[in-house]
Amino acid sequence: MSNDILFLAEFAAGRPARSALELATGAAELASESGGSAVALAYGSGAADGAAGLGAHGAARAIVVGDEDRPAITYAPAVVAAARDAGLAILAPATPNGRDLAAALVGSLDLPAFGPVRAARLSDGALETEQATLQGSVVTTSRPADGAPAPAVVLVLANTFTPSEGGSGSAEVTEAPAAEASALTKATVVESHEAEAKVVNLEEATIIVAGGRGVGGEEGFGPLRELAEVLGGAVGASRAAADAGWIPYQLQIGQTGKVVKPSLYIGAGISGAIQHRVGMQTAEHVVAINRDPDAPIGEFADLFVVGDLFQIIPALTEELRRRKGG
Amino acid sequence: MKIVVCIKQVPATGADKRYTDDLRLDRAAAETIINPLDEYAIEQALRLADDGVADSVTYLSMGPEQASEALRRALGMGGDDAVLITDPALAGADEWATARVLATALDRLAPDVALMGMASDDARGSLVPGAVAAMRDVPLLSYGAELKVADGEARVRRLSATGYDWIGAPLPVVATVTDQVGEPRYASLKGIMGAKRKPLETWSLADAGVSSDALRGAALTRVTDARPPEDKPPTERIENLPPTEAAARIADWLAQRKLV
Repeated sequence: MSNDILFLAEFAAGRPARSALELATGAAELASESGGSAVALAYGSGAADGAAGLGAHGAARAIVVGDEDRPAITYAPAVVAAARDAGLAILAPATPNGRDLAAALVGSLDLPAFGPVRAARLSDGALETEQATLQGSVVTTSRPADGAPAPAVVLVLANTFTPSEGGSGSAEVTEAPAAEASALTKATVVESHEAEAKVVNLEEATIIVAGGRGVGGEEGFGPLRELAEVLGGAVGASRAAADAGWIPYQLQIGQTGKVVKPSLYIGAGISGAIQHRVGMQTAEHVVAINRDPDAPIGEFADLFVVGDLFQIIPALTEELRRRKGG
Repeated sequence: MKIVVCIKQVPATGADKRYTDDLRLDRAAAETIINPLDEYAIEQALRLADDGVADSVTYLSMGPEQASEALRRALGMGGDDAVLITDPALAGADEWATARVLATALDRLAPDVALMGMASDDARGSLVPGAVAAMRDVPLLSYGAELKVADGEARVRRLSATGYDWIGAPLPVVATVTDQVGEPRYASLKGIMGAKRKPLETWSLADAGVSSDALRGAALTRVTDARPPEDKPPTERIENLPPTEAAARIADWLAQRKLV
C-alpha cells in the first residue's frame, strides 16, 4: 500500500466536471500530508485527452480508465482494478455517478466508506473525515477501523475543496491495469431524451437563487433568473416547484435532488422543509425571502427578509445593477 | 418475476436522536418509521405487482428486533412476505457490513429485482445498493424515476445532465428508485389487518448464511466523535421595510461579505 490519494475524475462532453478539479486539489492537499501523490482515475468522454490537464489542479498522475460516454457504473471494474491495493484513500464526488462507482469499490474490494463528507484530513497518518448526519442534527468524526483495508472510499460534497488555479503542471498519464469481467458493465443506455431548455449543473454553481412554492408558477421564475444573472449565479428550486413542472428536475435542490454547497444561496418563496434543507444547509451564506415571518427557513438563514418576493427580488436586481454601474 | 424490496427502519424525521456512549446511533431510543425514500421503492414494486409484472413482492430488512414493525407496516401496504435479519453482532453495522449481509441474504432469496430507495434519511451515503450489486455481481440500475421490467430486462428512467435516459440491463439486477415514481399508497385498514397474517421470518446472521468472522466486527469504519452542529450566528432579520429599502439592505449585506 502506498500513501497515494486517488480521486475519481469525471469527464463529460469533452471536458472535466468541476468535481474533478476540486478533487484534484483536495487529493493534492491530502497527499502532501501523507507523503504520497494525487492520482486521478479519469473516465468519461474527453478523459483521454484531458487527464494530463488535471496536473494544473494538483494531480501528479492520471490513469485513464475509459473515454466513452456511457453509464458511469460500467467503468466500475476498471476503477476497481486501478484502486486495488493503491493508496490511502480514494475521493469520489457525492453525485449519483460518483456514488455508484464508490459503492462498486466498497462492494468489490470490501473497503471502508465515508460520507458524504464536508472535510477530510490526515491525523497521525490516518484518514479522518467529518460529516453532518441525521439530517444535519449531528456532526460526526470518523476514521477507518484498525486494520481496515485501504484505500478508504470517501464521498466528497461539492465545493468542499476549491480548485487551485494557475498551475501549469501536467499529470503523468499511465495505462489502466486490466479489469476483471463484471456484470456491472451490462448497463446500457437504451434511449436518450434531451430537455427542451438547456439546464446548468447546479453542483458547479457558486451562487444559487432558488425558488419554491411561493414563486407561484413557471413565469414566477423570471425575476429569479434576472437576479441570478446579475449575480453571476444559477437558478435552482425546491421539490414543490419541480413537481409542479415549473422547472426541470435537474434544478431541484434537496434530499432527492442536488446537494449544493454554494458560497451564496438565496431562497425565495421556500419554506425550508428538512428535505430541502439537507440539500443546501452547507451553503456558506443563506439569504431567505419569504412572506411568512414564521417560515422554518427563517430559523437557519443568515439573513431573513420578510416580504413579497415579487417586489423585493426585482428591487434587489435593480439595486445591484445600479451599483455595478449598468 | 420476483421482487425483493430492501427497507430500513430509521428514526422519525423530527424524533429526538441520541448516540450511545460507544458512539453508535441509539436505534432503540427514537420513534421510528420506514425510511421515507424506501416507501417509493415499495410503491414501485407494488405497482409492478398490480400490473401483473411482478409475481411476488418480499420485504427484507436488517435491524434490531423492532424493525419487524417497519416490515409489518410495509406488508400493510401490500406485498406477500418479509424477512428480518437481526443479530446482536450487527449493532453499529456500517454501509459495507450492511451491504455484505443484504447481499448474502439476497443470494438466498434470489430475486429478479432487488429494489431499494435512493438514500436513507439518516446516513445518506447511498452506497449500499451499488455495493450489494458489486458483491452479487449483478448489474446496478440506480436513481430511477420509473422502473420497467419486460422480456428478461429491467429499465430505469434516469435524469441525465441535459434530459433523461432509459438505462437497461438483463435480469437479475439491483435497482434504486427516486421520489418521482409516484406517491406511496397508504395502508388500508383491511391491508393492516391482513398484514398480521402474512409470513414474517426472522433470520440470525447464521440463518442468512453470513459468518460473523467475515463481518469484521460489523464495521470497517469507526466514529470517534459525535456532537451537535456548530452554533451559527443568530439570523439577521429585515422586516417591515419598503421593497427598495429592503433591497438596499440586502445589497449592503452581500457587499459586506464580498458576495457581490
